[in-house]
This record gives sequence, C-alpha cells and structure tokens, in this order.
Amino acid sequence: MTDEKIQLVPTSRFTIEQLTAIYNQTRVDYLVPMPMNAKRLAAYIADYDVDSEHSLVAMQGDELLGVAMLGVRAGRAWITRLGVLPNTRRGGVGKALMNGLLENAAKLNRSFVMLEVIKNNVPAHQLFLKLGFREIGELLVLRRPPIMPPPDPVVADAQRLERMDALRLTGRDRGAMPWTNQSETLINANDVSGLHITLADDSRGWLVYQRQKFTLTRFAYKTEVGNPTTVAYAFLSHLHHQYPRLDTQLENIQVNDPHLPAFYEMGYVESFRRIEMWLGNPPPELKMKTPGELR
Amino acid sequence: MIKILLVEDMPDTVELVRRTLSPHGYEIVHAPDAETGLEMALEHRPDLILLDLGLPDYDGQTLAGWLRAEPTLAGMPIIAFTAWPQETARKMVESYGCNGYIQKPILKVKDFVDQVDSFLKTG
Repeated sequence: MTDEKIQLVPTSRFTIEQLTAIYNQTRVDYLVPMPMNAKRLAAYIADYDVDSEHSLVAMQGDELLGVAMLGVRAGRAWITRLGVLPNTRRGGVGKALMNGLLENAAKLNRSFVMLEVIKNNVPAHQLFLKLGFREIGELLVLRRPPIMPPPDPVVADAQRLERMDALRLTGRDRGAMPWTNQSETLINANDVSGLHITLADDSRGWLVYQRQKFTLTRFAYKTEVGNPTTVAYAFLSHLHHQYPRLDTQLENIQVNDPHLPAFYEMGYVESFRRIEMWLGNPPPELKMKTPGELR
Repeated sequence: MIKILLVEDMPDTVELVRRTLSPHGYEIVHAPDAETGLEMALEHRPDLILLDLGLPDYDGQTLAGWLRAEPTLAGMPIIAFTAWPQETARKMVESYGCNGYIQKPILKVKDFVDQVDSFLKTG
C-alpha cells in the first residue's frame, strides 16, 4: 500500500459481478472462506436488507482494498461481509471501512449496530472490541447431512403452514435476534413455509423454514406449550421425514437455546461458532425476550 | 487413465493440482462450482472426486450429500480438499459421507500424490 489516502466508495457504484469478485478476493485465505457467486450475493443483499448506498468498498487510486456491507432495518443496523484483501491487511483498511459504516449508520439514525465474527478470528474480534462493540453471546452454525436415515415422525397432529400463515406465526418481535434469523429475513426470503405440531399431551409449537432446491434453512421456531426439546424433536422428525434428501443449514443458533438437544439428537453437527457483538442498545421497540421465547 | 474430478473454485489451486497429478498419469476434469460438479460427476463417472468445501453456489458438504444420495454414483470415493481445521474437517467428512480429506494447502507434492494414490486404492 502507498501513502495515498484510502477512499470509501458506496457499493452501489459497482456491478454485482464486481462486488462478488472483490468479496471473494478478500476471503481467499480464510479458514472458512464462504465464497459466493453473483446470484448468491444478490440474494444475500436482498434477504438481509443490505443498503448498497451505505455499504462501502475501500480503494486507493484504482486499487481495490476491501469491502464491508451495512444492513439496515427499523431501529437497527448490521455490519457484514467485512473483508480486506490479504496483501493490504494491517494497513488500517478494516478500521477505515468500519468507521465508514458506523458513520453511515449514524447518518441513518441507527445507534444500535449488530455484527457477528467467526470465533477465533482474533484480528477482527479485536478491531470490533476497540471500536466499542461488546460480546453478547456465542452462536452456532449447524448442519444436518441428507445421508442420515429419515426419522420416524413422532405421533402428533402436524399441520403444514403456507407462507402467509407461517410468517404470521413468526410475528415481528424478533428484532434483537441475530440478524440472519429476524422476521424480515424470512419475509424477504422465497419458499418459506411452516409446520405446527400438537402432541398427545397437548404440548405444541411451530417451525418456520425456507426450503430451497437442495437445502432447508432459515429456521424460526417456538414452543408454545411444553418442553422445548420434546416439541423441537417432534417438529424436526416431521420435517426431515418429509424432506429426507435435503441438506440442512442453520445459522446463528444461540448456545443457550433450550431446543438445542433435539437438534443434536436429530443428527445435527456443529460446523463452527460465531460471536455476536453489539454496539449501543436495542431501542425499546425491539422488545427483548429470552432465547426460549424468541426462537 | 485414472480420472479425477476436481471441484474447486480457485484457479490457482486447480492449476497446481493439475500440474501435480497429471505427470503421474491422472486425468483431471474440473468443475468450478457444486451444480457443475454434480453434472460432471454424472457425465464423467470419475474414479475419485476431490472436493473443495467452500464453493460459490452451494458448499462442498451439500454437494457431497447430493453425490451420496445419487444411486448411480454409489461407492465413488469422495475426498474433501480443505483448509479447515482438522477437527472440523474430520467431523464434516464423517457426517457427509466423504471417504476422507486432504488438507490444503499442498505443501509437499509427493505427500499429496501419495494421499490421492492411497484413497484410490482404499476407496
């Protein structure tokens, strides 16, 4: 890097193909690189309400240095996809991008900012701490492979929910959940449906999910009555019985989620962990609930 | 000639694998993403699939799941090719029905060739 000043340019000035290329270049040496093609990045931007006018690419002259994106929803903002090209790291690019995004969030009157960082990504974690973010908790990324034998469905009254009924159940009070699991994400996503389960002892609950061509993902769920593990085991048994050949990918499940034992019993494995971090406090309208209530 | 399907999105890695294995009598066919990987596995019926876990459309585990669910590809060795920490790689390999994994980056050419040979023999 030269001494020339780092410029921050809105991502809206780049095509989705250019942005994809920049993003992938920043991740080539990551342990979990998570590359994307343009279609996948475009869906990411749409599903997570990424604001292209307030997301930034860092440049120095004609040289691209890094990228960072800002999601914007009512009362909150989210920092995501922060990455710096390997050969320009340790030169203040990450900090410049972060400061730029925080300024943009402030311009939009968002004083509550959320992010997640992969556990053991020490440089990024340290940068976020220095900028005033605090740790909220650990999040799990879980997978369930489709090669597992489909479970026998638990005896229960299981009702399939179409999109509108499913979204109605998730409600709009998930604003303090990790960004990927908030109501808006499900509202933005295609192919969302759900399942309501009532067991013989009247315990009951629901699961809302996105079914893609090859995967099940974006779960929202709640135990209305009864033991969360029992209810979760019941809805998972019906889901995986119905879709035995789909890979399942769950992001950002809180480690203290009382439904978790059912996921492990159903064959889910931990892929990796993230740390959730917040700057500022959620405004009152983002009603805080316990993880058990929020799922 | 032994045919290996390399599913990998990084051109430098593709080139390195090609240069490393071709002189040892392997034919390398290449897919840059998971959907192409599935198509090429069905079309080419390779002797072994070397599978990057971080792909741009669907990830490598998802592709491993599709391949394992495809009856006409039963028994085909699938080897994960990844820079993930060993414990994570081992867990994913076991869960998704891969036969094993080879750690990235390729540090010693001979070791890499030996690992590929070994997986071809044991399946």
